[in-house]
Amino acid sequence: MKRFWAKIRAGVWAGAAALRRRATALWEAGRGFLRAYGWPPLRRAAEFLLAWLKALRIRVLPPLLDLVFLGYLWLATSIAVSFAATGRVAYTLLSWEWFVLVVGVTGALWSAWDQTLGLKVVRHRLSPASPGMRLLYALFWPLFPLTLVTALVDREGRSPAEWFTDLRLVEAGEARPRRWYRSPTGWLAVLGLGVSLAAAVAVTRVDLRAFVTRFEKTLKFWRAIFSPAWDQAGLGLKLLVETLFMAVVATAFAVPVAAALSFLAARNLMRGPLPRLLYTVLRVTGSFTRSIDAIIWAIIFAVWVGTGSFAGVLALFVHSVVDLMKLYAEQIEAIDPGPVEAITATGANRLQVLRYGVIPQIINPFISFTLYRWDINVRMATVVGLVGGGGIGFRLAWYLGAYAFSEATMLTLLIVLMVWSIDWLSARIREKLA
Amino acid sequence: MAHVVVENLSKIYERGKVRALWNVNFSVEKGEFLVLIGLSGSGKSTLLRCINRLVEPTSGRVFLNGLELTRLSPRAMRRVRRRIGMIFQQFNLVKRATVLQNVLAGRLGYTSTLPSLLGWFPKRDIQRAKECLERVGLLDKMYVRADQLSGGQQQRVGIARALMQEPELLLADEPVSALDPATSHSVMQYIEQINKEDGVTVIASLHFLSLARRYGQRILALRAGEVVFDGPPEAIDDRKFKEIYGEEAEEVEIR
Ligand SMILES: Nc1ncnc2c1ncn2[C@@H]1O[C@H](COP(=O)(O)OP(=O)(O)O)[C@@H](O)[C@H]1O
Ligand SMILES: [Mg+2]
Repeated sequence: MKRFWAKIRAGVWAGAAALRRRATALWEAGRGFLRAYGWPPLRRAAEFLLAWLKALRIRVLPPLLDLVFLGYLWLATSIAVSFAATGRVAYTLLSWEWFVLVVGVTGALWSAWDQTLGLKVVRHRLSPASPGMRLLYALFWPLFPLTLVTALVDREGRSPAEWFTDLRLVEAGEARPRRWYRSPTGWLAVLGLGVSLAAAVAVTRVDLRAFVTRFEKTLKFWRAIFSPAWDQAGLGLKLLVETLFMAVVATAFAVPVAAALSFLAARNLMRGPLPRLLYTVLRVTGSFTRSIDAIIWAIIFAVWVGTGSFAGVLALFVHSVVDLMKLYAEQIEAIDPGPVEAITATGANRLQVLRYGVIPQIINPFISFTLYRWDINVRMATVVGLVGGGGIGFRLAWYLGAYAFSEATMLTLLIVLMVWSIDWLSARIREKLA
Repeated sequence: MAHVVVENLSKIYERGKVRALWNVNFSVEKGEFLVLIGLSGSGKSTLLRCINRLVEPTSGRVFLNGLELTRLSPRAMRRVRRRIGMIFQQFNLVKRATVLQNVLAGRLGYTSTLPSLLGWFPKRDIQRAKECLERVGLLDKMYVRADQLSGGQQQRVGIARALMQEPELLLADEPVSALDPATSHSVMQYIEQINKEDGVTVIASLHFLSLARRYGQRILALRAGEVVFDGPPEAIDDRKFKEIYGEEAEEVEIR
């Protein structure tokens, strides 16, 4: 027992030391660049930052994948268990704080011991596979689920999964609104935020004086911002079209898939035990997939299929399918059952009832949701580009990294123009449909 | 042989364990106009829907022309439904579709699936739809969206949709409850006309006893899912009325 604790202590110390070394090395490297390259250091700094981000990607992706995988596994298990225990398809066994904690901790421990799905996917082993590093890893990953602090904002103490679906993760009787300071999540979040903030301040060495003393160094940057490189307009337009196509392709492929799935994810159409199971699985998986941001999907796909517009399209596609599925399904759930009943009474068959009783009621909202999603996808296409999803965003990230601010400004102008016009167009069309 | 025969019909809704109908027996002759009355919640809608099996009865049998509907497969039931028109309290039109499209929908049971999914109807059906609309006085509204019409007009579209089915039986679930008195009579007169001129058997639930007296040849009263009266309108006296509607009820006239 004593030896065990001694080992743990040694692990923590080693981990802390490693972290300190890393932070120092980072800082020294930054200083070194500044010293070595004198006046135009930012270009180098940006390059360094980019390389660092790339390394971070390899570091972040496996645990991310692990968490996603474990999350799905956990949901499936709890649905199965609750089905076996109560005979109902419900997700009511454990409150969601426990869900987050268990998945987070398991993911962390699992990742720390190097043999995980995420690592296999990325085919990467933690470089200094020392016990200390592993322990540090294990200690830090529970902070990851803090992305779910959104739950704090909700007065009724519901989890994000509950906002997106109409599932209730706790039994109705227990679901009393709770103050954040009375829930374990609240404390976990505050603790996590505090630690992260402290760590962030320490690592980045917040130095307010730099605002004043280093201002003249950014003059070049400001000057570049106000002198867009007009010669980039041609290339920019080409990339803009590519980005637009990314959004169009992702939306176009997502619509039929989402439309088909939405009928299976509509409560009022899915009656009976088996359909209900399918409904629940679709809704839960959907909301889980939705809560993973398109940017993260883009990172995953950029690793999977390589950087480029295909990865971007895939990310947008996945996110659009689950998003549209939910929007469509809610529309189907909101239809007036009267016409459906009336058409059934005339002796029409199921397909005819769908065509004449259901579809006329949902077609306009469907089109309007699709446009809305396309609108989002155009914007997102740029953003996923920044993390390796191709299109104009990818080039923009590249220019920024290369300190080519005039060129970056040009591209930004084009993006703004595109987003504005798409926004305007889709708002106009949706107005007509209403 | 009676046109419609209902035997020992019961319906218990699983959800809430409501006994909506209990051992209901009656029969309707061909061409008869039967009116169902009863307080709301007494089971009128459930009874009408058990006849065309929009609601599945818990037990009991329903016959149409001697054919036992309660034993039919879903497919065979759809064939029978083609000859049973139905109109609803809330009209149940597809609001975003035009009047013509709504009326044509009455023909779906006779149309093969693929063309109907593409929105193709035979020429003679379109001709027929126009005739039905002419009959309810709405030919000029053919291409208007259903939600642009007044309540009375919408119910007339509902009647035209039922007429498209060439029904032998018309089920009407409180067809005028959402309408004002004057419009109510105009709509009821169309239904009466279908009954008198086309010889269509009508089973209609009505809210007001005065309307039931005016249009019904025979009245069937339900209370808490059981038949408490079955006979001619004249036979409902003050005592019977209180038995159907409860002690506190007052008869209201609707002109
Ligand atoms: N789908 C349903 N599920 C459960 N109970 C129902 C349902 N439809 C009707 N009921 C119940 O059955 C009873 C009869 O209702 P209904 O046939 O609609 O009466 P009415 O048409 O005379 O107002 C009521 O108590 C009602 O609450
Ligand atoms: Mg009713």
